[in-house]
Amino acid sequence: MAVSTIYSTQALNSTHFLTSSSSSKQVFLYRRQPQTNRRFNTLITCSQETIVIGLAADSGCGKSTFMRRLTSVFGGAAKPPKGGNPDSNTLISDTTTVICLDDYHSLDRYGRKEQKVTALDPRANDFDLMYEQVKALKSGVAVEKPIYNHVTGLLDPPELIQPPKILVIEGLHPMFDERVRDLLDFSIYLDISNEVKFAWKIQRDMAERGHSLESIKASIEARKPDFDAFIDPQKQYADAVIEVLPTQLIPDDNEGKVLRVRLIMKEGVKYFSPVYLFDEGSTISWIPCGRKLTCSYPGIKFNYEPDSYFDHEVSVLEMDGQFDRLDELIYVESHLSNLSTKFYGEVTQQMLKHADFPGSNNGTGLFQTIVGLKIRDLYEQLIANKATARAEAAKA
Amino acid sequence: MTTIAASGLSVATPRVVVVPAVRVSAPVRLNYPWKLGSMNRMVVVVKATSEGGISDKVEKSIQEAKETCADDPVSGECVAAWDEVEELSAAASHARDKKKAGVSDPLEEYCSDNPETDECRTYDN
Repeated sequence: MAVSTIYSTQALNSTHFLTSSSSSKQVFLYRRQPQTNRRFNTLITCSQETIVIGLAADSGCGKSTFMRRLTSVFGGAAKPPKGGNPDSNTLISDTTTVICLDDYHSLDRYGRKEQKVTALDPRANDFDLMYEQVKALKSGVAVEKPIYNHVTGLLDPPELIQPPKILVIEGLHPMFDERVRDLLDFSIYLDISNEVKFAWKIQRDMAERGHSLESIKASIEARKPDFDAFIDPQKQYADAVIEVLPTQLIPDDNEGKVLRVRLIMKEGVKYFSPVYLFDEGSTISWIPCGRKLTCSYPGIKFNYEPDSYFDHEVSVLEMDGQFDRLDELIYVESHLSNLSTKFYGEVTQQMLKHADFPGSNNGTGLFQTIVGLKIRDLYEQLIANKATARAEAAKA
Repeated sequence: MTTIAASGLSVATPRVVVVPAVRVSAPVRLNYPWKLGSMNRMVVVVKATSEGGISDKVEKSIQEAKETCADDPVSGECVAAWDEVEELSAAASHARDKKKAGVSDPLEEYCSDNPETDECRTYDN
């Protein structure tokens, strides 16, 4: 939302023309009158608040389901920038811009092979550039961001990124550098357990010729030391962690189709009120299936409890099982509190809108949608706060 | 005007109609009547994203990784090699998803964003 104040009541007609001063936040209007040489200056000051969200995920950039759900909550479909590099990782919608942190690799694929480092290693990433550009975008200055081409493995010429209302930085190291961490208004960590990761990668890669079970396993295990050393520690800084674990409802399940998903929400974060079941801070275990609702095997089980996570107070909402029908979803939604929805059934509507996305029938889709609504709520609160602060400052 | 008529092109030719439903993978010629000289015709080659390319890369990288790791499974080279396999597999899977989403024709993609340009105008009457 751009807030503009106009300091003149001059009517605008075709004899006006615009020039913008060097700081792109101010626009001067001049009306030229050939008879007299008087100039009427109108000063318009526009300021746009940009909020920065960090998302730590291992699954590549920008095209992930989480991003699509998030941008959908804000409205509009996120698409790659028009007319630019077709292999760009950036996604732009009306309100949101999603930047892939792979673009800040300091070493391309060949450089990394030479130096014998993985992409997970901080040595392969330029954190100074990341910090400068995120800071610039946050303060409303457009930047020329490099492009890391995943197809060729090289660093392509930069693309111009305009400061958006909501900037999402997605990648492996959004919370690694302390300066970048301080710029984030909200941060999320997607924690996939090893068993689930293995099952998902099998599904993804078995269709690829050349891959076998052994190669997939070797690939995960080779990356594990770097992952545990550099990526995993970021979860202590996240405001919300989405943990994906194998289900406990089916004994000895190794297909990874039914999932147990835990949404770990940090307490005391500004503008973020955690979702709860029944009452905040209490512990409750809930199976919605029964007389009012009939579920098919394995059913659904919810859990809510306060907990401690890396020495922080957190609230944990957990869902195990799968949704089969629409009425299960709406029933569950009606019993959750503090969802930050604008109308009854918004979560269900969002889930239905993207019923073809993976995770739409389990906790991953549900919690991703809820986090999206929370971010929208955070954005609106921040804007409202800044507007009142400015109004008070103007009055004083 | 006479020079234009002499070269065999007519200024009165209607604008080009390209129907997006036609998927051509061979070179498509668009005639611009105001461009003089038959040698200056624009040739637009419509090519889908080469998915075969990435798959080959994935296969090659797996081979390489296996070879590198045969000597020393915990060396930096081995780890970097498997990381490359992971990156390429992710890129291949994205390419596959993109292809499945059906937007593999660059002209169609362009026209959905810019329906008013000459290449994309359709005349239904």
